[in-house]
Amino acid sequence: MRTSLNEIKRIDEHVFGSGTPADAVLFDAMLILNPTLAEQVRWQKKAYAIIAEYSRKRLKAEIASAHNQLFLNRKHRTFRERILRLFK
Amino acid sequence: MTHQNSFGNTAAKREQLFISLYKKAFPAVAKYISKKGGNFDEAKDVFQDALVIYYEKVINGSIILNTNEQGYLMGIAKHLWAKKFKENIKNTALDGSDACFVEADDITLASAKLMHYLETTGQKCLDILRAFYYDNLPVTKIAEVFGYSGVRSATVQKYKCMEKVRETIKERSLAYEDFIE
Repeated sequence: MRTSLNEIKRIDEHVFGSGTPADAVLFDAMLILNPTLAEQVRWQKKAYAIIAEYSRKRLKAEIASAHNQLFLNRKHRTFRERILRLFK
Repeated sequence: MTHQNSFGNTAAKREQLFISLYKKAFPAVAKYISKKGGNFDEAKDVFQDALVIYYEKVINGSIILNTNEQGYLMGIAKHLWAKKFKENIKNTALDGSDACFVEADDITLASAKLMHYLETTGQKCLDILRAFYYDNLPVTKIAEVFGYSGVRSATVQKYKCMEKVRETIKERSLAYEDFIE
């Protein structure tokens, strides 16, 4: 892998604590010596937040699709009527 | 990050599982919300949020799928309904002033702009990253689902996608300054 991708991998391991203890010590030292790396960590954390937001949005769309199947498809008519009766 | 996702590898499989969870748990949740004076849409919103929380707990390994699903979903739904009820009271007591929400709306708008840009320029990358970071799918499954020749090429793609998303956020944050805290 090219250098920039290896850096992303190391940041990944640092954020999720998935590297070896030796890697973690080395990374902490690099963070002190290289301010640009600390900046990249900050941007990568923003990327994780955006990915989480996107993922949740997609998951909600999948759940909404399941709901629509149950409440619009004739196949599930009995279930739909059972629920709607509760709100009459 | 090491827990396996037992919900399925694809949207279609997850959807089937959500239908099954709906059938098992929604009647009791709907009955509860109805008794508390809520309507169908409120029951739907609460239950769908409960499903998101339940999914995230399962993929993070906090709970095991197929173990008292109805009980968990009902517990989460009751908590969400109580929270919603409290918030409604709080919002009503704000004597019409919504000034404190303006800033939050602006941040959401900037974030939404960025999200829209990322979705239109690199949805496949977002889907791959979702599979790795959110769905916690094993890398072998990710390679299979996204058509990579093996674990190594899927892993390299993950880092390439992360680089693309990270650099896009960096560039676009200059345009949407309020995204930066």
